[in-house]
Amino acid sequence: MMVVLYPPQQEENIYIRQQAQAWRRSGLITEEQLSAINDHTNLQLRQTNLFFRLLFFVFTMLCAGAVVGLFVWLLDFKDANFTAVMLICFGAAFYIAAEYLAGKYLFYRHGVEEALAVMALVLFCAGCGTLLSENHLTLTQLRIVVPALLAITAYWIYLRFGFLYAAIISIIALGVVPFQFNLSPATERIMLFSVLCVIFIFSLLADKPDIEDFRKNRYAKIQACLTTAIYLTVNLQIMGLFGLISMDRHVVHLNPQLFPPSIYWLSYVLTFLIPIAAIYWGIKSRKRIIINVGLVMACVTLATNKSYLGWTRYAWDPAILGIMLVGLSLLITRWLNSGADQRRFGFTARDILKPEEGGITPADVAAALTPGVIDAQQPQEQAQDKYFEGGTSGGGGAEGKY
Amino acid sequence: MNAAKLLRKLRYEKKLDSGQAEFLLNLQERRIISVHRELRFFLYIGILLIITGAGLTVKQYFINLGDAAIISALTLCFAAAFVYCFTQGRSYERGEVASPNIAFDYILFFGCAFYSMDVAYIETQYHLLGDLWENYLLISVALFFFLAYRFDNRLVLSMALSTLAAWFGFTLSGQRFYFENYYRLYAIAYALIVLCCGVLLYRIDIKKHFLDIYLNFAAHFLCIALLSGVAEYKILSLYFPALIMVCAVLAFYSVQVRKFLYVLYAVIYGYIGISIVIVDQIHRQTFLLFTYFIVTSMLVIGLIFKLSRRFKENQ
Repeated sequence: MMVVLYPPQQEENIYIRQQAQAWRRSGLITEEQLSAINDHTNLQLRQTNLFFRLLFFVFTMLCAGAVVGLFVWLLDFKDANFTAVMLICFGAAFYIAAEYLAGKYLFYRHGVEEALAVMALVLFCAGCGTLLSENHLTLTQLRIVVPALLAITAYWIYLRFGFLYAAIISIIALGVVPFQFNLSPATERIMLFSVLCVIFIFSLLADKPDIEDFRKNRYAKIQACLTTAIYLTVNLQIMGLFGLISMDRHVVHLNPQLFPPSIYWLSYVLTFLIPIAAIYWGIKSRKRIIINVGLVMACVTLATNKSYLGWTRYAWDPAILGIMLVGLSLLITRWLNSGADQRRFGFTARDILKPEEGGITPADVAAALTPGVIDAQQPQEQAQDKYFEGGTSGGGGAEGKY
Repeated sequence: MNAAKLLRKLRYEKKLDSGQAEFLLNLQERRIISVHRELRFFLYIGILLIITGAGLTVKQYFINLGDAAIISALTLCFAAAFVYCFTQGRSYERGEVASPNIAFDYILFFGCAFYSMDVAYIETQYHLLGDLWENYLLISVALFFFLAYRFDNRLVLSMALSTLAAWFGFTLSGQRFYFENYYRLYAIAYALIVLCCGVLLYRIDIKKHFLDIYLNFAAHFLCIALLSGVAEYKILSLYFPALIMVCAVLAFYSVQVRKFLYVLYAVIYGYIGISIVIVDQIHRQTFLLFTYFIVTSMLVIGLIFKLSRRFKENQ
């Protein structure tokens, strides 16, 4: 039995058509040449555009949720075991429906079959969790079994349908398991690190040179996610960074004190080594997404460096990092542009492939929010008032407010 | 067959010339990789970090630094950025103008952000405009609009539109995102002004590619304002028919120009609006509530399915 639901050549044809559309958008091929490529890549699978896919997904989830809700409400279950069995049955029914739509009607990333598969995953795991909790499983055992079950089920959906987010759900669910054994923080991290490394090695073994392009592309994305997960496991100051961004000082040093010095400093070294290794590997294997992930991780490493060393953070630290990023980007652009044919080692700063236009970009949204952030950062009181407030500069220590 | 084999086949069939096929093969087999988008991304993140760092520094150390130092530093930064843009920028054209270099758009954005910071600081510290202090925003809006059109910069246009929204009373820092009646009407007024500006400039053929930014701002402000009206008055007001009309217009426009982002907006906002009214009418009876969501979501799925089949979206 073939695990994958869709014929590989069909998925490869979709990948080729996507590439061809990007070439057409960028003016690299003509409309006739695009038609010629489409003629050579026949498609039986039914697809839709991103926005319709989103709508299909949202409304199928809503419909499926309402069906389950109505059924549970009508039958007014008192017995948790029965409710659990019903949830599992609904999960199975939705899964069969997803398979049917994908197999019979050839829905491919259409939103409807995706929502049904995700709903099946949620209901099945919720049902199993309820059933197990009712049958004398302790809370600790349950907190291990349910994420493990979620990881396995999500992985099955990834294998069957090829949804990348199912693979990511599976990795995240598996990542939760080591934290449920009441181990020391260091052991938890080492366990998670080992699990992620094993998955990473498996993904490398599966990524053979002779596989289809669409599969190579998918593996590259999974490897990028795994590299990020490994980095987040290793970086003990990452919570502190979130705390700094949200201005919540309580979480700045939430975890690092709990680790022995050897683990702490090993993690410090690894926060530098992992991005360097990712960038090097990305360049060697020509995997753009891995290079990108490596670069982002390198920025995070620079942002958490001071926390690791216990140095004082200053308000201008983001600006220094920003100046570094701008400087490096400009230097790399100049260096690439000065090469023969504006290229060095196959890398170019020229804008070759234009992205699909979606109306408004995240960059536009960030720009729109900038004036609001600037406004929020303004000192609220006059310097003079602040200086004298509360009698800090004399005045007999009189209260600033009456 | 993979893409490389197909390209070789098309070259053999003379549907691709050899130079073109060679270039596409280089791209496909990753012998050429463009890092243009990555460089732009890091430039933008860098500029945003500089703006954040400068803002935090001013906020934390304004007593130590002194007004003169802060104002002169900020002024110097934005003046240098604007001088650079005016000396290096390409001449104005009605259509799309490519940036002279990869950093140009971000330098202009940096200048505008520092200008905002400078003006906001001066106003916060010295209250030059007194009770009319919010009017400094209008000066910023005018400047940003001018710069966005002069240098064909989407980021600065987004800043201009959000600064205009701030002048209407919508800010991130204040507690002004309540859609009480006062702000609801202002949001509608804002959305209509933005929409009219965008459509007018599109009709007179000035930077037609900016229309989407105007439409996104107008659609969200208008729909959220109308939705808040529907939430408050339910069916007993003009907000409900207005919302339905706006969603219908959005969907119609979307289908006409084949930009399906607006269908997404129309369906989501329209569905929420209708659901608020219906749920209110059925007085939260559980059976009817579930039945309503089952029936209507299936209807929406059927409608979108018909629409997608009509346009044969095969990507």
